[in-house]
Amino acid sequence: MFMLPETRFDFGGDEYIFAEISRDMSEESNFKALAITSELRKRQIPGILDICPSNSSYLIRFDPEVISASTLLDYLKEIDMTKSNPSALNLEVRIVEIPIWYDDPITREYGKRFQERNIDHGFDSNFELVMRLNGYRDKEAFIEAHSRSPYLISMMGFIPGTAWEYPLGLRREEIIQTPKYASPRTDTPGRAVGLGGAFTVIYPLSAPGSYQLIGMSAVSVFDQTGRLEDLRDSFFLARPGDIWKHRPVDEGEYHRILSEVEEGRYRYRMKYVDFSPEEYFAMRDQYIRQLMEDF
Amino acid sequence: MLYIIDGGLQTLVQDMGRKEYYHLGVPPSGAADKYSYVLGNLLLGNPQDYAALEITLLGPVIEFRKKTVIAITGAPCEAKLNAEIVPMWESLLVKEGDVLSFRMTTSGVKTYLCVSGGIQVPDVLGCKSTYVLSQLGGYQGRKLQAGDEVQIGEPLPGVFQQVGKRIPDEYLPPFSTSVDIRMVVGLSSYRLSDEGLRAFLNSEWQVGLESNNIAYRYTGATVTFKPTEPAFGAGDNSSNVVDIVYPIGAIMVPNEKELILLLRDATTGGGFVTIGTAIHADLDLIAQSRPNTKTRFISVTVDQAIEARMNKKRKVQAVQELLR
Repeated sequence: MFMLPETRFDFGGDEYIFAEISRDMSEESNFKALAITSELRKRQIPGILDICPSNSSYLIRFDPEVISASTLLDYLKEIDMTKSNPSALNLEVRIVEIPIWYDDPITREYGKRFQERNIDHGFDSNFELVMRLNGYRDKEAFIEAHSRSPYLISMMGFIPGTAWEYPLGLRREEIIQTPKYASPRTDTPGRAVGLGGAFTVIYPLSAPGSYQLIGMSAVSVFDQTGRLEDLRDSFFLARPGDIWKHRPVDEGEYHRILSEVEEGRYRYRMKYVDFSPEEYFAMRDQYIRQLMEDF
Repeated sequence: MLYIIDGGLQTLVQDMGRKEYYHLGVPPSGAADKYSYVLGNLLLGNPQDYAALEITLLGPVIEFRKKTVIAITGAPCEAKLNAEIVPMWESLLVKEGDVLSFRMTTSGVKTYLCVSGGIQVPDVLGCKSTYVLSQLGGYQGRKLQAGDEVQIGEPLPGVFQQVGKRIPDEYLPPFSTSVDIRMVVGLSSYRLSDEGLRAFLNSEWQVGLESNNIAYRYTGATVTFKPTEPAFGAGDNSSNVVDIVYPIGAIMVPNEKELILLLRDATTGGGFVTIGTAIHADLDLIAQSRPNTKTRFISVTVDQAIEARMNKKRKVQAVQELLR
């Protein structure tokens, strides 16, 4: 059995309740956030407007003219205590492959352009900065480390379609980490792959941003034009609880895939699986290996 | 139909904004100054949430291709119908072929042009608001340009009798170069040192140039962090936390010299320390504050925030009664 951290509640102005499960990131906290928010969603409480699971916390938006702030706070505390056991949470999730061109010229250029806003101005690229901070000297070894394990979609937010990815089955000391920019960039190219803290994100479209840029995804994670068959039902590739697997590609393959995406011919490599948090916590990387077999 | 002769700096279709997609990273968007926007609709007898045009600083030039009634509200600016200066906060008759043009706003940022029957664009994710960053909603997901043809609703029954109605002066919002913004301290404010939090509340901040519907940036004082072990997964800069979903109005501190306050087009999540959240009733005031506006942040309780919200709501109801 695993331990569940105790949640700290706080108001965000007159419309939000923020619940911080833990200050640290962990899969336990994330699955607790998923369990509570899906329970709350099921209950359809009038006055609750948005239910947002996040990495190790969750955020509820409510209408204080419909439900009193203090009543809702008590109600959330009760759900948090009684309904937060992730072992009851069995998820049907999708494993999705994300082809990435690492250390590419586009993100290198952006890294240079916004160098003054970064935490350290001395590096040629964000890729190199992250690599060095994590003790890697060899580019290939770093790419292998970033793409070997699958990632859990632990949160959505930022701009439509942005998903936070947290590596599954690794020990803390194996996880690549990096500080964010000291002051956010005013621009990031769409499909750029960024690292911040222990998380990877793919920018859906061009946007401001504070994550270190390490490559470009060949595939879109957001599309409102309806040209990609797999994004026709929903504009968003990600769903919390899904699993993404990065695959390094070279420049040639990146451009081949990109043109398939742009012409609307691309089909995402995907597999549906049942994910059991309980089995994951019991078996960790062994469970992940099992899950990823034949993918 | 509205024929756009010149789009101005940034003219967008906006309404009350999106709901129910926040967990997928979709911010509400919608009119930046809801109070001025709603008053414009009330002047025309429109439902409060009918779509209008939101004008930023430098207004458009628009030819009306239908006789209707309009109202101009929000940031003060000189508006001319053909060659004649027309009043704001008043319902005005326009005829087919009339041309409406605007000069720079003299204070504030956002001016609204409401039209009887509302601006008609297709709903995207449940509303007509423009969210420029993701090219969602509004008129083709973007600001208006010369040559655009924007559909408007049929003038509502009885609206021509509304012409000449006015919002009494006491209900007009203030447009000042110095504002007080009420906020509720919290979220990850525990990461600031005591003197850091005091400096935040006791200092005067200035609105930065890189401010827009997404976020307002402020500088002017120094906010210090508490020396703490970084949380695992956060990144070990003192301003980093494990990424959260941010409330609209969240005030974050990416570094000791800068505040970023998230507005209606907010990036909805991220991993910077947040000091607290601006109250709902004051978001309009923030969106109307220009670069260099002097800003003080006033700490209030949740109950005071709700009281401020209800006061504002009662004001709108009072205007609605007066115009009936």
